Amino acid sequence: MAQKLNCIMLVDDNPDDNFFHERVIRKFKLADNILVMSSALEALEYLQNDEQGKIRPNLIFLDINMPGMNGWEFLEVYQKLHKHQQSDQIIVMLTTSENPDDKDKSLTFDFVYDFRTKPLTKETLEAIIARYNDN
Amino acid sequence: MENTALSELNFQLIVESSPNAIVLVDQRGKIVYLNRQMETLFGYTRAELIGQNVELLIPSRFGHTHPDFRKAFFKSPTVRAMGAGRELFALRKDHTEFPIEIGLNPMDTGHEMLVLASIIDITERKKAEERFRLVVESAPNAMVLVNSTGAITLINRQTEILFGYSRSELIGNKIEMLIPERFRSQHPFHRKLFFHHPKSRSMGAGRDLFALRKDGTEVEVEIGLNPIESTDGQMVLASIIDITERRIQEITLLKKAELETRNKELEQFAYVASHDLQEPLRTVSNYMQLFEEDYANRLDDDALRYIRSVNQATTRMSVLLKALLEFARLGRDRKLVSINCRVIIDQVLADLHSMIQSTHASITVDNMPELYLYDVEMRQLFQNLITNALKFRHKDRLPKIHIGVKQLAEKWLFSVRDNGIGIDPKNFEKIFLIFQRLHAKDEYDGYGIGLANCKKIVQLHQGEIWVESVSGQGSTFYFTIPL
Repeated sequence: MAQKLNCIMLVDDNPDDNFFHERVIRKFKLADNILVMSSALEALEYLQNDEQGKIRPNLIFLDINMPGMNGWEFLEVYQKLHKHQQSDQIIVMLTTSENPDDKDKSLTFDFVYDFRTKPLTKETLEAIIARYNDN
Repeated sequence: MENTALSELNFQLIVESSPNAIVLVDQRGKIVYLNRQMETLFGYTRAELIGQNVELLIPSRFGHTHPDFRKAFFKSPTVRAMGAGRELFALRKDHTEFPIEIGLNPMDTGHEMLVLASIIDITERKKAEERFRLVVESAPNAMVLVNSTGAITLINRQTEILFGYSRSELIGNKIEMLIPERFRSQHPFHRKLFFHHPKSRSMGAGRDLFALRKDGTEVEVEIGLNPIESTDGQMVLASIIDITERRIQEITLLKKAELETRNKELEQFAYVASHDLQEPLRTVSNYMQLFEEDYANRLDDDALRYIRSVNQATTRMSVLLKALLEFARLGRDRKLVSINCRVIIDQVLADLHSMIQSTHASITVDNMPELYLYDVEMRQLFQNLITNALKFRHKDRLPKIHIGVKQLAEKWLFSVRDNGIGIDPKNFEKIFLIFQRLHAKDEYDGYGIGLANCKKIVQLHQGEIWVESVSGQGSTFYFTIPL
């Protein structure tokens, strides 16, 4: 039986990708809650909001190439957040092409857990979640 | 009488205390008086010289003209230097010669006219001048010594080479002969300014300077000016450098930088294009997958086949886009290492092991040199060429491949020869272009990437790549790596 997370956040400006990824997660029941953010700013706003009962994501899938604030800029702001706003979250960068420069750059952020090429598949997701649960 | 004695004493005191050698000669050329310096300089005692003819002190090759010069002097006796620009030499008692300068003064004793000759030994000065001449001569660039009237007084060998004039064609002539016509008229003015405030500086103050050769051609130069004080007055030593080569290099560097920028842009373009085209393509492929998953039971066989075709096309396009990106990035992070090519080839053959076995290919390899190469790229080059040789094998015979190398004058010539299907000569160029394919997909699968990559890799090594082939008999791919 597949392992399951409480909450996964998707940060991507492309609604087609969000829909597709959300569907994979739902279909294989990999998370109880899915937060879909259509921009990096929206995601930061959510993470910085300390209201009671907010669901904190265990895992964030972050697209690199987004208009306005891109994935890298998101990471810059994210690493300055309060610990309680970011703890327990691991981030997986998502990209369309395998540019080794991007991969090297992503490794300079110690909270970036992995670097993957789109689309998310059942196998990718299961592998990431298994590693998450092991930690 | 007493007055005469006093003035004689005074005269002797002055002459004896002079630092120069002084000799007093009468109209017949007899030495009537000489000072202590004179004895020292010529090695005679006073007694040996008094009453002797002054020609005794002149080297014989000049001696015979001296009486005429002497007569001419007494005809119009004035204070003047002897020799009028000629080089003067004196003869010692021991028959050695030395260069001198002589000042002549007429002296009227009341009953006869004498000449007082003041002699300076200029051996040291001549040596210094010779040293200076040698330094100028051995300078690596053209040097020209010019006096305040603009006359060239000294040049070196490099000047002859640079301007194509011989020494004798330049010495004594105006420096303006080396200046192109259009700048010539201003030059005397600039020259005067320099001599007015002589100091070391470069000429032209940032202007492009040109010099005129004997053959009428012009050469771009840089000129440094140095004032030199000499016995002949203020001079300027001009040091002239031909900067044609440097200009060519500057232009080459500029072009190279431009090309690098252009390549960088192209790479960026290829990256952006492949990245941005990949994204919508992925969406197409993702949603075809959804379509298949969610609607499979509601679709008939035709519809499913259409979906499969779309999937195949998107997969292929995705591969092409990735290949385009890889092509653009090829060699970007390259590292030069010293490696034996045999090591590279063995690794490639190991990687291709199963393909070599299944095709029953026999592969032979020459002794390979150790070279400085971009090893990752070079491995890809051999891999592509050997893979092609296996892939385009002839169906009627087992593939035979030979990897050869030869050292030529300035490069290594590598070859990969096969006995495969060969290539039509009209396609010899085309095959190295990206995405060019000669065969239908069902015959020989491929993307038209391999040889384009090969060409780029060889170009990274400043080499060339080409093919020779007989259709139906086999091909040989050649590439060169400069030594």
